[in-house]
Amino acid sequence: MKHQSKFSPEQQHAAAHQTGQQPTHEFASAEELLRFDAAQTTVPPEIAERLKRTTGNAAPPPRTGWLKRFFRGTN
Amino acid sequence: MNEPVEGQAVTDKPSATGLSSEFGAIYDEHSHAIFYLALRYMGDPQKAQDATHDVFLKAFRKQDQFRGDASVRTWLYRIAINHCQNLCQSWHNRNVHSNADDSVWENSAARTDSPLRVLETKELGQRIQKSLDSLSDEYRLLLLLVADEELSYEEIATLVGQTADAVRGKLHRARKAFAAHFEKTA
Repeated sequence: MKHQSKFSPEQQHAAAHQTGQQPTHEFASAEELLRFDAAQTTVPPEIAERLKRTTGNAAPPPRTGWLKRFFRGTN
Repeated sequence: MNEPVEGQAVTDKPSATGLSSEFGAIYDEHSHAIFYLALRYMGDPQKAQDATHDVFLKAFRKQDQFRGDASVRTWLYRIAINHCQNLCQSWHNRNVHSNADDSVWENSAARTDSPLRVLETKELGQRIQKSLDSLSDEYRLLLLLVADEELSYEEIATLVGQTADAVRGKLHRARKAFAAHFEKTA
């Protein structure tokens, strides 16, 4: 983690408190709120299915030396 | 998430997506970040879905152009940002955002140093989207990038073509503008 957050997700969760019957979530910053939102967001499986079709018949271009090292051992 | 590094073999295990193991590993690792950026940058789930597909298809076809002098995540973000900005180009022409609008929020008395409080998470996504939509494209992009904990300020600066100090300054204003808008959506 490169950015320092005021609260960890665990601390954030623990900081949630009850106001009447409604839990209140507190976020130290906009990016904390966006991280929470991102965690609630799922990637539609249709994207991978579509990619599988569109890349299925196309051979990827030849790899550079760097990519060969990057993917070493995967073939 | 762990970033694959040079020389580190990507697992040979078949991807959960059914894509080839190499490309599938990249997709598995980074698709969430790319989809979320596209979703919140453009504010349209279907466009975000199309954009995410197109970004990874471009990456698949341009694997030979990846020189390895940046992380895979940064490389994918660069493709995604260019793609989303191109898609939004016509929107900009129809709905030009004036920087003067930002100054209204930047100079407002919003309590940006106090926590953002949320009572109901059910419609939180809509509130977040409205607040992001009210920002300039630049501020929206900066907030979305800084929300990715895998990116450093230097990497964000490179992605947006500015210095890290400039990014920090703009982020301060972007956070303030976002908080002011977010409070109004409550």
